[in-house]
Amino acid sequence: MKIFAKLYATLRKFAPPDNELGEFFEVEFNGATISDLIEQLGFTPEQARIVFVNDSQTSDLSSTLTNRDRVVIFPPVGGG
Amino acid sequence: MSKVLRINMSDLGHKWETLPKKYETLAGRAFTSAVIHNEVDPTCHPLREKNKFVIAPGLLAGTMAPSSGRLSVGGKSPLTGGIKEANAGGLTATRLGYLDLRGVIIEGAPPVETKDWYSIYIGKDTCEVKKTNDYAGMGLYELIGKIWKAYPSKPGIIGCGIAGQRLHKGAGVFGNNVENTDPGRYAGRGGLGAVLGSKRIIAIISDASSGSRPEAKDKDRFEKGRKAFKDALDNHALTGRLNNEKGEPYGALKNYGTNVLQNILNEAGALPTRGFRTGRFEDAAKISGEAVHDLVDKTRKKFGDKAEGKYGHACHPGCVIACSNVVPYEKTGKAHVSPLEYETAWALGTNLGIGVLHDVAEMNRICNDLGLDTIEAGNAIAMFMESGLIDFGDGSAAIELLKNGYHPESAKGALVCSGALTAGETLGVCRIPVVKGQALPAYDPRPIRGIGVTYATTTMGADHTAGYTIAAEIVGIKGKVTDPKAIDKAELSRTFQATTAYIDSTGYCLFIAFCVLDDDSGFNGMLDTVNGFLGKDIDIGEYGMAILKNERAFNKGAGFTAKDDRLPEFFHTEPLPPHNVVFEVSDEEIDAVFKDM
Repeated sequence: MKIFAKLYATLRKFAPPDNELGEFFEVEFNGATISDLIEQLGFTPEQARIVFVNDSQTSDLSSTLTNRDRVVIFPPVGGG
Repeated sequence: MSKVLRINMSDLGHKWETLPKKYETLAGRAFTSAVIHNEVDPTCHPLREKNKFVIAPGLLAGTMAPSSGRLSVGGKSPLTGGIKEANAGGLTATRLGYLDLRGVIIEGAPPVETKDWYSIYIGKDTCEVKKTNDYAGMGLYELIGKIWKAYPSKPGIIGCGIAGQRLHKGAGVFGNNVENTDPGRYAGRGGLGAVLGSKRIIAIISDASSGSRPEAKDKDRFEKGRKAFKDALDNHALTGRLNNEKGEPYGALKNYGTNVLQNILNEAGALPTRGFRTGRFEDAAKISGEAVHDLVDKTRKKFGDKAEGKYGHACHPGCVIACSNVVPYEKTGKAHVSPLEYETAWALGTNLGIGVLHDVAEMNRICNDLGLDTIEAGNAIAMFMESGLIDFGDGSAAIELLKNGYHPESAKGALVCSGALTAGETLGVCRIPVVKGQALPAYDPRPIRGIGVTYATTTMGADHTAGYTIAAEIVGIKGKVTDPKAIDKAELSRTFQATTAYIDSTGYCLFIAFCVLDDDSGFNGMLDTVNGFLGKDIDIGEYGMAILKNERAFNKGAGFTAKDDRLPEFFHTEPLPPHNVVFEVSDEEIDAVFKDM
């Protein structure tokens, strides 16, 4: 299935080199869950601190993705 | 034995006092709020002789504890009419720590007919109030250069700019940065720059050249704690070192600064855009921390050694988090402004619909030069846009509007320097984002309600730093991210507010919280530094609540009631896209935060 992914901050290095900051890139996804996606993108669940699926924040990395889902992932970040 | 310096601007005299026993453990915000509570009539006019301006370095300022050089300033706020503490980095806290000064209390005011301007020089057992009319009316970039030329011993400098000298309520207290290239270390909020202006003071110069590093009472405990705490900060993915072992970006704050939040809040749909109309800004990424990081790298590649852009820049000596930055001009690689913080990029960018990094940096620079709080100034400009006088998204018009602040004859300039409430009411705007007269910062309270409870209930007026519930609600510090709707907002906000008051007193930067909430060895190390320094154990919660009690009592005396602990009406009635939610915390729940105070 197709997933649209967006990575920020220190995770940007796992996006394709031509991916513009703040834009989705397409992933031909072979797995089922958010954890699978993270593995396919090349990093670990510990590096994924803040995750949004279709605009909603989630902490359950075992939840299943469906075709054309939009997944946004941040590492631990903060400030203010 | 620590001392207190008391300066009377009515007769330009001063005296040195021994630190009273009851203030023995108080420093930073605990000190400023205790003095204001104990010595200032809460009903006084904030810009006349009965108000006081209190300066207090954090407890550990000047020690080797990491990231511990924050400075608190306090007084009765001309913006809110209540108590105010604002804090910042810079050089002054460490300098005062070296002089063994727990606080400087400035009281009285020269006679109203006075036309003279003064500056205060503080050295080891010396204090001089000097007439410095040649410092008046100039931009702050020029001023700090001039002061350091006269005092080559690298003093800390704080003071007020043109906005404060004209008693405008949006005036912040500037501080020089470590390199003295910039007056951008702001204790920005609450109009305390105008309190200095009302006392006819432009600069306070702290020279520690004959001072010495403060020593802990229990040196072993302090040293053990310091090392453990530094390791924890260095290893945390948020506060940690610049690169990992492969040379790739590691610590988020060091690489992207506080403005790493721009994209998160945007993705969360909680980034207040165009005057709090929507929660998403289509150009957020262009003015984000990642964009600044890329610009710095790009200009370094192009201009080599001549490039002045930076990330991982420390706001005070000994800061290991180093979340500050220097934004370069794209065309020349020279420094444009430092720092560009999240709140500023939001206030002068997103909030105005301006997605051009150069324009945002330019407005930040003008605010720093005029001596203005960027959050208040950005919200004031938004009121001009709300009223239709200029368009949302028009960067050139916003820059021109802000430049009016230099001209004493410009009513628009006076208005843009006077805060969102004064500007909004004058221009006929009916949706003004303020609590207790202070403009909201960069988190919309409709989708993130805990921060809304903090905005409503903090003694400071709308202030995110007073109880940063975002750490739990969005960032997921301390365990897994819970559903924001499920958290008890009153409990969450109260705990964060008390803990924050403690941190604001230690000299530690608030951002250590991200690490200590996650890492027990860091937390215990931090406690060991504070308790080892004092030679006695203090309880975080009790210490923090005692500060809040002083502040609540002052505000009560100034006339504040429960009805002041409320968000503006439109947050309850206008749903915020994309989640289309309103602020749904009941008045009862808000009043429960401080029900016994």
